[in-house]
Amino acid sequence: MGRLRHLLVGVGLVSAVFLTGSNVDYFEEQLPSTMIPIYARTMVDRRAHELVFDRMFYRSAITNELRSRLVERYQVLEGGKKIKLVLRSGVKWHDGKDLTPDDVCFTVDALLNEKNPSNDAKDYREALAGCESQPKENSAVIAFRKIYHNPRERVAFHVLPKHKFDSSQISPDDDFALRPIGTGPVKGSKGRREVSFSSVPNAHRRANVAQLQLKEGGDPFVQVRTLINAGVQGVIAVAPPLRPEVAASDDVALKSYDLRSWWFIAVNTASGALKHQKVRQALDLTIDRSELRELTIGVDKDDPNPPCEFISGPFVQSSPYYNRQVKVAERSDRARAGTLMEQAGATKAAGRWTMDGAPVNLRIGMNAPLDTEARDLLNQIGNQLQAGGFDRQVYRVTADDWNRKAVAGQLKDFDLLIGKWSFGMVEYVNPLFHSRKGGKGSMNIFNYSNPEVDKILTRFDAARTDTEARDAYHDLHSLLAKDLPYIFLWKLDTKSAWRNEVRNNTIAPYYYFTEFDGWTIQ
Amino acid sequence: MVRGAAGILLPLIVPAIIAMIIWGLPGDPATTICPQGTCGETARQALIERYSLTSPYAFLYSWLSRAIFLDFGISPVTIAGKEVWALVATSVPNTALVMLLALGPITVGTFGAALGWFPRQLDAVFQGIGVVPAVIFALFCVAFITIFDLGGIGAFGIPMFEYDNWEVSPMKLLAGGLVLGLADGALSGAVSGTRSVFDTEFKQRYIGIAILRGERPMVNAAPNVLPTLIGQFRSRVLHLLSGTVIIEVILGIEGLGDLLWRATLDNDYFVVLGAAWGFALISSFLLIFQAISGVVVELMIRRSPSVPT
Repeated sequence: MGRLRHLLVGVGLVSAVFLTGSNVDYFEEQLPSTMIPIYARTMVDRRAHELVFDRMFYRSAITNELRSRLVERYQVLEGGKKIKLVLRSGVKWHDGKDLTPDDVCFTVDALLNEKNPSNDAKDYREALAGCESQPKENSAVIAFRKIYHNPRERVAFHVLPKHKFDSSQISPDDDFALRPIGTGPVKGSKGRREVSFSSVPNAHRRANVAQLQLKEGGDPFVQVRTLINAGVQGVIAVAPPLRPEVAASDDVALKSYDLRSWWFIAVNTASGALKHQKVRQALDLTIDRSELRELTIGVDKDDPNPPCEFISGPFVQSSPYYNRQVKVAERSDRARAGTLMEQAGATKAAGRWTMDGAPVNLRIGMNAPLDTEARDLLNQIGNQLQAGGFDRQVYRVTADDWNRKAVAGQLKDFDLLIGKWSFGMVEYVNPLFHSRKGGKGSMNIFNYSNPEVDKILTRFDAARTDTEARDAYHDLHSLLAKDLPYIFLWKLDTKSAWRNEVRNNTIAPYYYFTEFDGWTIQ
Repeated sequence: MVRGAAGILLPLIVPAIIAMIIWGLPGDPATTICPQGTCGETARQALIERYSLTSPYAFLYSWLSRAIFLDFGISPVTIAGKEVWALVATSVPNTALVMLLALGPITVGTFGAALGWFPRQLDAVFQGIGVVPAVIFALFCVAFITIFDLGGIGAFGIPMFEYDNWEVSPMKLLAGGLVLGLADGALSGAVSGTRSVFDTEFKQRYIGIAILRGERPMVNAAPNVLPTLIGQFRSRVLHLLSGTVIIEVILGIEGLGDLLWRATLDNDYFVVLGAAWGFALISSFLLIFQAISGVVVELMIRRSPSVPT
């Protein structure tokens, strides 16, 4: 009896240590707005959905290889008009039901259903035509509207369980938004201040962390102090001023999180002096990116691995579409900028550029939330341009106005707009630069139009191989760097912080938790 | 009579007024879920129809026609997918607990001042405490609780309720109650308010006569000051109720104020109306309580033995 009691106490203690040791709490920027993946609106949503659901295809965070946990094999049919996906058997939903091809086709139907208010579905509606389930072969055949060189990337959506919905018209206030059922490594339950995740072993995935809790982060300072005091194990985004404090702690490690986003200044090519290509090039040379980076993001000049990487075109440097032949202008070159302005017909008097008898006056706007990531960027850019001889007025554009007006090309009163774009799996920049016509150029901020650019974008659309697509975008990069409808700034990584107890925590670009199965806690 | 009627009508009038106000503010649930030009006009229209957002009257009519059967709809934004009644039902106990804790110092202050437990010299101390703004006090508390991880359900080993989705953190509740009950002059107001009512009453001629008869002034004054004190108490409770919005938001207490704040930011009309209705219900309960108390005190005075002449 005595031995049994000792044994029970021992087992109890070991279990307690094991259970407490397998819990991870972390601070997010906010709570996810929904747990229905087709309604993801924020990066917080996308990160949370990555834990609960599986995407048809994903990129390995380690090899950048395109992989799938759900698809056993695939076959491109009809010369690329369709793709057949044979599902891996034994994959179950969190409620124990089998994943079937009907679920894949249901998700496609939901994405294509125009009554579903999904922001992400727009791209899928342009790409996908329909889906046919083949239960006998455990496969689904997805049809495309046109032939893509990268069909697998076009079907990289999170799969939804058909049996949890009455029809493909999914209400945003469905109960599923609180208690989602997925095939991912954990199941989730959303509360008012946190989301609790608990691991669900499956045939294809098994998480080592038993419990995970997403907590709503409040004040950034409190988040960091709580992390250092072991109140939580991780913070998704550490504010730049607090990074030195985190870096100084022995118990916590800072980790780069690649949001696959790049920053830009969109130039209104239809406004006043900015119609001249040489003026735009002069502006590009007036901006001192290196100084801006130091002043606004606090990047140390001597940092061997800075979180901010300059770009010369509309892609991040790690992208296959980035054209390395196009060099970045890190420092300003006021002398060359002056020459270009004079060639454009401007004259300089008392340090101010004048063109057609009037000073060159720039109305500069910035998507207001960017200020938290790059403090005072708007004023610093304004100051640099003023020092270069351009008059300027600066304005903050609210996030709502940015989403509703700037992206829709309705902020034509501005000459320059500072913003950033983020791309997940598919780096498709055609909507940013194509002329606004026939449904194309839907995100063209200043309705930029250049027939040569349009031609290249059409070439990309028509590409059948990766090489053709890459060549088209390399040409685009090179042309845009010359014509400058955008002044390209940088790719800015966010820094996460995790306590050392959390091991093997590979952070995937954009989706963050893609490799969560390998995470352990000691 | 008027108070009783106002108490009954309040839960009906408040949603109507709130509906008109929120309609005037920029944004609506459909725009939050599906900003114009991002997810298609068909989807937007489907949302507008689903949530009866064609006009404020259509929305109010639709809301009221369901609310009378206690169906407050489902939150489309703030806690998408959660029934509003469930959100309100799980919020009210937290708000009530904070209020109850906050009423502690105020009740002690009221009784202490009335019964002379506190010397007048202490008033300066109470006023000193009351000078601290609730926001600062609350921010200090939240930083302390979060950094030292004391915000858990069983923090400090204090067992607390954990029922279904209703969880309460004892430290946060305690801090909320203390902040509300002490800061912004809540305690000092209760002490000085009660004291001044009695001081004024004790100057009345009938109290002097009572003292000459050898009676205790308190016994004579109490029935006369009770309606005033009840009125003061109701306004203090309402003041605390308004304060809960700030305290709950800062301390992260899942109460009615926090719910109202979040829903307003999210343009979640259903939750805004549900939470406002919850507040109106508490307010109307207080009004009815004051009306009934007034009647009871009046009856007590009338039934008290007449003074022999």
